[in-house]
Amino acid sequence: MRRLVLVLALVPALAACGSAKGPHDAKSLVVVVNAPFSKTPYLGRTIENGARLAAAQVNASGIRIGNQSYVLSVRTMDNALSPARAVANVRQAVSDGAVAIVDEGTGVDASWRAARGVPICIVFQGGSGLVDPATRRNVFRIAPTDHGVAFRLAEYLIPQRLRIAILHDDSDYGAAGEQELRRAFAGNRSSVAVDETVPADALDLGPQVLRARRAHATALLVWGRPATIAAAITAARSAGWKVPVYTPPTGADPFVRQQLANHPAWVDGLTFAGGRLTAEVGTGPFTAFEQKYESAYGVDAVGVRTTSGQKVVEPPETAMYAYDFVNLLAAALQRAQSTKPARVVDALENVSVEGANGDSRGFNRVSHEGVVDDDVYFARFHDMTYAPVTNDPLSRTLPRIPQTR
Amino acid sequence: MTRITIALTALALVTAACAPFSEKDKENLKKACAGAPATLHQRPAELKSFPDAQGIFYVAVQKKGPATVATGFVNKTIGPAHRSYSQALKNAAGYSVTKEEQDVADAEVNFAGHGTSGQVKMVQECKSRTNVTITIRPS
Repeated sequence: MRRLVLVLALVPALAACGSAKGPHDAKSLVVVVNAPFSKTPYLGRTIENGARLAAAQVNASGIRIGNQSYVLSVRTMDNALSPARAVANVRQAVSDGAVAIVDEGTGVDASWRAARGVPICIVFQGGSGLVDPATRRNVFRIAPTDHGVAFRLAEYLIPQRLRIAILHDDSDYGAAGEQELRRAFAGNRSSVAVDETVPADALDLGPQVLRARRAHATALLVWGRPATIAAAITAARSAGWKVPVYTPPTGADPFVRQQLANHPAWVDGLTFAGGRLTAEVGTGPFTAFEQKYESAYGVDAVGVRTTSGQKVVEPPETAMYAYDFVNLLAAALQRAQSTKPARVVDALENVSVEGANGDSRGFNRVSHEGVVDDDVYFARFHDMTYAPVTNDPLSRTLPRIPQTR
Repeated sequence: MTRITIALTALALVTAACAPFSEKDKENLKKACAGAPATLHQRPAELKSFPDAQGIFYVAVQKKGPATVATGFVNKTIGPAHRSYSQALKNAAGYSVTKEEQDVADAEVNFAGHGTSGQVKMVQECKSRTNVTITIRPS
């Protein structure tokens, strides 16, 4: 009899393990975050936090499909910036029944097939070939594209009559950037003083930066991982070269400032291109999102301080993209009234939500991009924090987001 | 009665505080239009096959690096201006609308087609005129 009682007591517990039922008898739908937690912890963590924040909000009311309620459960997998590992993670996620994958982007060239139709949303990498509604219908992106960043940089820099030294590293990110920069500057090659590939793991870029200087460059455009950007700035500034430095969004990665923490003046003037954080409606929605994010996970501390001693924090930009996708996913599941991948993908092309920045976020049949090229703006660092530049039509209309606490 | 008044006043204040658009935007919508800027006599050749919205007057066109940027205006409020460009792009062979959005005083229609992509940005500057900026870049 005792054994029977024990078995009866175990049955509900085991059932709960299998389906992860929520407080209202809801079944769990797994959303996997596939990101480089071990290699770039800040990036992985911020993507995870954005996804978890949205899932928690969705779960407050749940998703109703037919007579069954569902909640979203976020699980993380480390891709370690390895395409092979990223693909293995996606394969595992699909085998475990994941309803969607929020992905940093590494390995998506192969993992989209392994996903077997399960939607993947890239929230960081901007490579042009990664997203194509015609051939990779299950792949979506909410992040600035490399195309948008490269062309916006060209549109910003060429009219300034700068002679630009382009340095890009040999990482996947750097190679994708190189491809887009070549296209963006194709009609204006006279603006390019030198164009070099540098090793992504190089600690000293002195020789490459010296060649740029000898080519009479008046600007450095560095497209690579944060370490490459920090190394290029170190090489230029330690040689006394006060050349302006321009970068893609990785220029705002906390790692760059951490690496240059002993020389804060070297960061001054660094200008990066990124996705606008606020919409036409103003700062209200993004600030509200940021407050919710900080209440749940605390601030993303950069690890440096301003000259007046204030702690510098990073606005949760990438988290915002993951957050928006999970909200879109919830809306799509509700619309599809199904968890079947093909139905969810169909629905993702037909729903929109108000994004964390107040802008409408959504996809359609011809575009799986959630951030348009014309939403790329430029911001410049001063005293370890950044503000939109004033010599670009879009950027000058944007407010400064507070970055100290 | 007093409580209701206080509650309504508080609600009005909260609503005003949350109002997404500045007073300046709203004022522009009521403001009489000053004289229109001088327009180009011919349609800019740089626009190639890009469709024209009904009633567009072009003011200038310039190259900004790889992009072509044309500016102009339509004598319409923001809603009809937005619909004009949305329809023009949807009806033009080889073009598609990738994203579009309209707020109180501004709208965007993002497009792709004919080896290009870009955006039509519209801002209603006064009671009956909407400024248009078209950015076309290689896709």
